[in-house]
Amino acid sequence: MGHGRYIDPVTAGAPGKLYTVRAGEVLNLEFVVLPGESRDIHLTVDLVAPGAEAHIKALYLSRAGEKVNFHILMHHRAPGCRSTQLIKGIAGGEARVTFGGTIVVAPDAQQTEAYQENHNIVLSEQARVDTCPQLEIYADDVKCSHGATVGALNPDELFYMRSRGIPEQEARTLQMLSFLSPVIPEGREAEVEAAVRSL
Amino acid sequence: MLDIKNLHAKIGDKEILKGIDLHIGPGEVHAIMGPNGAGKSTLSAVLTGRPDYEVTEGSILYKGEDLLAKTPEERAWAGIFLSFQYPVEIPGVTITAFMKAAVNAKRKALGLPELKAGEYLKLQKEKMSLVQMRPEFSKREVNVGFSGGEKKRNEIFQMAMLDPDLSILDETDSGLDVDALKIVADGVNTLRGPEKSAIIVTHYQKLLEYVQPDVVHVLKDGRIVCTGGRELIDRIESQGFDQF
Repeated sequence: MGHGRYIDPVTAGAPGKLYTVRAGEVLNLEFVVLPGESRDIHLTVDLVAPGAEAHIKALYLSRAGEKVNFHILMHHRAPGCRSTQLIKGIAGGEARVTFGGTIVVAPDAQQTEAYQENHNIVLSEQARVDTCPQLEIYADDVKCSHGATVGALNPDELFYMRSRGIPEQEARTLQMLSFLSPVIPEGREAEVEAAVRSL
Repeated sequence: MLDIKNLHAKIGDKEILKGIDLHIGPGEVHAIMGPNGAGKSTLSAVLTGRPDYEVTEGSILYKGEDLLAKTPEERAWAGIFLSFQYPVEIPGVTITAFMKAAVNAKRKALGLPELKAGEYLKLQKEKMSLVQMRPEFSKREVNVGFSGGEKKRNEIFQMAMLDPDLSILDETDSGLDVDALKIVADGVNTLRGPEKSAIIVTHYQKLLEYVQPDVVHVLKDGRIVCTGGRELIDRIESQGFDQF
């Protein structure tokens, strides 16, 4: 799947905050971007020795003119490393959200497992989400996948809930919370729920 | 209970209901039978306020009030329930969370206090056993990964939880094997009562062997073309819908 020649992205000067993960280490990163907040999340993870793991979970909620950018480079330098990325969010108002995520699997990084998912719900005509997930794989024995979606709240789910007597606003809140549930950090459920209700 | 007069409805530019008249009294069970495309599901959709369907003419009175002026949730609070032909999956929302929100929203609308957690769970357990749903289903995401029969049983469970006055069963028998059909029918029969009305929409007679209707209507090309008693079911069974 790789195009052209492998160039070490870290020594080539990958921008953003650099996390180096060594043998047997596990890096867990969680990000929560709440309404009203513009953020640039710009980072590089370098898995440098066998058995290193990195897991990134992020959620964003935007309701006005916020600008939220994710720029994530996941570099599998060594064999037998594992990484997961799950980035989910809801964009309303005139929010501008971009997701650029690249997984690079170096030629030596056999038995890599790397997964990346970016899912977005857009609530208004004026909000905009651009997502660009990329895989660059230079090894041949790897398990990698990536996926991205941008869509609206499902109207069939909404009607089903309303037909049972759940008021429209409450039904939308339930839909949004269920969508976000895999990326809500433990202990922050109430805060996220309040933010969802404010959208 | 329900009074439909000269109801016309369309979806997009396509007129589907072309003048329906229907009167359902308290405690009555009406079957609406008809071939595919007759407008049976459109009638269910219009009664429950599904967006995308536009009523162009006519009126619906429910308990003396203008039903068409109400939102879907207001109709539910007033006692209308639709068992969906294709129940919707809601990933991430458990049956308990879903039904608790629904039951308490209705109670709130009726000016009743919300059920306490213990009271709610007791009610849920009782109603699940009515349709032989195992208790662990309450922790499952709504309809996600359910078989056809499980989905329909889940619909009847929700009906039992919400205790509606007018139940609309839209092709509830489709895709059910005999055992599941009996469970569903037993559930529906248990919920019958002198003030409880129902509309059973179907193109088979299967469910009607177990849940006996008081009145049978034939819906064809957007109109009710024949109304009668149970003898009509046998006539349809032997001669099909072409006779109408």
